[in-house]
Amino acid sequence: MTEAATMEFHPQPQAGTAKPWAFPAPERGALPNGLTVLRCDRPGQQLVAVEVHLDAPLDAEPQGLDGVATIMARAFNEGTDKHSAEEFAAELDRCGATLDAHADHAGVRVSLEVPVSRLPKALGLLADALRAPAFADSEVERLVRNRLDEIPHESANPARRAAKELSRQLFPASSRMSRPRQGTEETVKAIDSAAVRAFYEKHIRPAAATAVVVGDLSGTDLDAVLADTLGAWTGGAAEPRPVPAVTADDRGRVVIVDRPGAVQTQLLIGRVGPDRHDRVWAAQVLGTYCLGGTLTSRLDRVLREEKGYTYGVRAFSQVLRSSADGTGAAMLAISGSVDTPNTGPALEDLWKVLRTLAAEGLTDPERDVAVQNLVGVAPLKFETAVAVAGTLADQVEQNLPDDFQARLYRQLAETGTVEATAAVVNAFPDDRLVTVLVGDAAQIEEPVKALGIGEVSVVTG
Amino acid sequence: MPMGHTATAETGSGGLTATEHRLSNGLRVVLSEDHLTPVAAVCLWYDVGSRHEVKGRTGLAHLFEHLMFQGSQQVHGNGHFELVQGAGGSLNGTTSFERTNYFETMPAHQLELALWLEADRMGSLLSALDEESMENQRDVVKNERRQRYDNVPYGTAFEKLTALSYPEGHPYHHTPIGSMADLDAATLEDARHFFRTYYAPNNAVLSVVGDIDPEQTFAWVEKYFGSIPSHDGKQPPRDGSLPERIGKELREVVEEEVPARALMAAYRLPEDGTRACDAADLALTVLGSGESSRLYNRLVRRDRTAVTAGFGLLRLAGAPSLGWLDVKTSGEVEVPVIEAAVDEELARFAAEGPTPEEMERAQAQLEREWLDRLGTVAGRADELCRFAVLFGDPQLALTAVQRVLDITADEVREVAEARLRPDNRAVLVYEPVTPEDADDEASEEAAK
Repeated sequence: MTEAATMEFHPQPQAGTAKPWAFPAPERGALPNGLTVLRCDRPGQQLVAVEVHLDAPLDAEPQGLDGVATIMARAFNEGTDKHSAEEFAAELDRCGATLDAHADHAGVRVSLEVPVSRLPKALGLLADALRAPAFADSEVERLVRNRLDEIPHESANPARRAAKELSRQLFPASSRMSRPRQGTEETVKAIDSAAVRAFYEKHIRPAAATAVVVGDLSGTDLDAVLADTLGAWTGGAAEPRPVPAVTADDRGRVVIVDRPGAVQTQLLIGRVGPDRHDRVWAAQVLGTYCLGGTLTSRLDRVLREEKGYTYGVRAFSQVLRSSADGTGAAMLAISGSVDTPNTGPALEDLWKVLRTLAAEGLTDPERDVAVQNLVGVAPLKFETAVAVAGTLADQVEQNLPDDFQARLYRQLAETGTVEATAAVVNAFPDDRLVTVLVGDAAQIEEPVKALGIGEVSVVTG
Repeated sequence: MPMGHTATAETGSGGLTATEHRLSNGLRVVLSEDHLTPVAAVCLWYDVGSRHEVKGRTGLAHLFEHLMFQGSQQVHGNGHFELVQGAGGSLNGTTSFERTNYFETMPAHQLELALWLEADRMGSLLSALDEESMENQRDVVKNERRQRYDNVPYGTAFEKLTALSYPEGHPYHHTPIGSMADLDAATLEDARHFFRTYYAPNNAVLSVVGDIDPEQTFAWVEKYFGSIPSHDGKQPPRDGSLPERIGKELREVVEEEVPARALMAAYRLPEDGTRACDAADLALTVLGSGESSRLYNRLVRRDRTAVTAGFGLLRLAGAPSLGWLDVKTSGEVEVPVIEAAVDEELARFAAEGPTPEEMERAQAQLEREWLDRLGTVAGRADELCRFAVLFGDPQLALTAVQRVLDITADEVREVAEARLRPDNRAVLVYEPVTPEDADDEASEEAAK
């Protein structure tokens, strides 16, 4: 066979006329019990997403009980005043629903997804879980043991291990952010049902909670459903909760978590930067995308598509904690994994990319493509109810206005190349990055030292 | 509509419809309108996967999938990615045992670009494919293998269990990622030959779903894909059929540096596309999906011997499907304790079948999963291609959930009794070792 087989070629087509799309504006209200409710009708989305933000941040955990918020969140699924743990799980599955909860620096998030036909029933179960969780001794004991069993699995996972080490390096030991979100073996062991209930009673109440409901709500009398379910939850007033300032030590240095024999090195290179309240946010999103948002961004262009050192390296920012007064912070990071023998060369190239970016800046075409992508993908990204609900709940959790995301798209479109360059260069200065490498120290320590990107230390475990 | 038959919404399809067409070069085209959001999904399934690979060239289908993003006649370098992303789209490709798929989700007004791009590489990839991109993507794929399989605990369990479940020489004996040695051995000529053999319009199905004008869309498909010549170099895949039951338990004990003991197993189950496969899906859901399942209740809640316990189903059309058991033990619990409890639960289920409540729950869970999959234009486009390629009829995608809801408790019990038994599984047991043990073994290995 030859390659003579040909086709008729046509010039690249031009785009048609864009149809208007805007990030959905939720309707905001409150129930008589003080619960804030955001709702958003999304025609056709038969799977309804409910996100509940509970203002119970990790720094509210009592001293020595790191992980109690996590155990409480998990225990919401383990029985109520109406159902045992097994019955509760069965009732949820009977609705075809999923209910997950997790605790983070900003608070506890409870996420329900359910076909709209069974929304009233599932909202009833969610309301029971929040209103009257059983917190039975035996179930809490089981959750504690289960959590202890999970810890070695997390430590064995290179990406999880790297994240844990970076937090420990960046934040002062007194900060909750320096320690694992779900607690350590020592602190988790100390948790019992009394501790879980005490945390619940102190922090969980409708006045300190927001529920976001998104989906095809056209056939549902949501007010009536809410009144019967989350409306039955009672509790005292919410107290203002000051957010402590975040400080971080980002002196350039390298910490190797030794994994003898590892075939790859997991990289996590990070520091702390501004959150979404900062005016620079849109420019930082744009610049960070140009640095490492996708396969055609600067990092992967070299590390993956030219050198083949990696399956992919990404740069991103992840909000840790936010408050309206601007004292919040986000983690800025570059992560990925590279093969062991090329660890030194990959880091050398990575730093070269950062330095070139600082010296020469972004180009206009690079900025244009990034804006077109970040803004253009919005209708795709927010096709499902769960995506919309998640973003609305994030805004609530970060004390942002409900139209933040909609405005962000306008800001991105107005952000120029110079601003995006300044933002990303400030976000990733080549001498203020903490580099965590989970890999084979015997093979990577010397090559990494030779790079001069900071003092190199090795830890085990 | 040219050539298409107009489908009306069938019962249980959630009001979704799709039309089917075929170009003269054999390309099958499926269109489905949905104007709720101004987006359109393009999905292209090539009827080639790792089951078509030959000995010594495992991983070639997947490596080739990477090469499809390295440019074609009119698209330079990473242009495919750049143009789609620059148009506000998202894209990727994946390779499995039975197919390779490529997909773009675009703002609706950029649909034509995605069609042009897919046609360009279907018709002219070889004019751009060179040694440089081959060498580069070989390294990328080897790093993908390290990242996803070799450098994570239990990462190679899937590969090991698959190899145990399908005998040596069987087309599903190896997984799509392939071996390092075979990835090293693949040549540019292998890639060219692979393209000439499998990347033909008559070996593909294209679906376009979303906010589209079907007539305009079909005209674009004709314009861009219509002149790509068909060719018939493809041999039918090797026969993947196997006896209903393995006949004896197959077993491998792995001593590795893993954080806990684990019991994993693959049960040989009916092929995808059959009622019995849907019945098996329900059986595995009752037994091991979610926190109200029998195994979770038994091992995690009551016995408290496991940290996780669950079943999954790997649906396969050209070979027996696999029912995937994964249990990680709690604390110092030993595997035989877990195994005895699993066997007891499976035997009891095979004897009694599911309760009506369990059937209701399992069907509700699977219904939600289908709503989830069909809830996005990209998910719907992928399912339409799947049913067209594997079963010859895309319409089956729209009624799949109804078929699951039609299964009876008796059918679920029957498939469990026939298939979920110790003599019909491959078992993988993980026993953790310390780094020192691992070193000893490595040096013994080296001395041999």
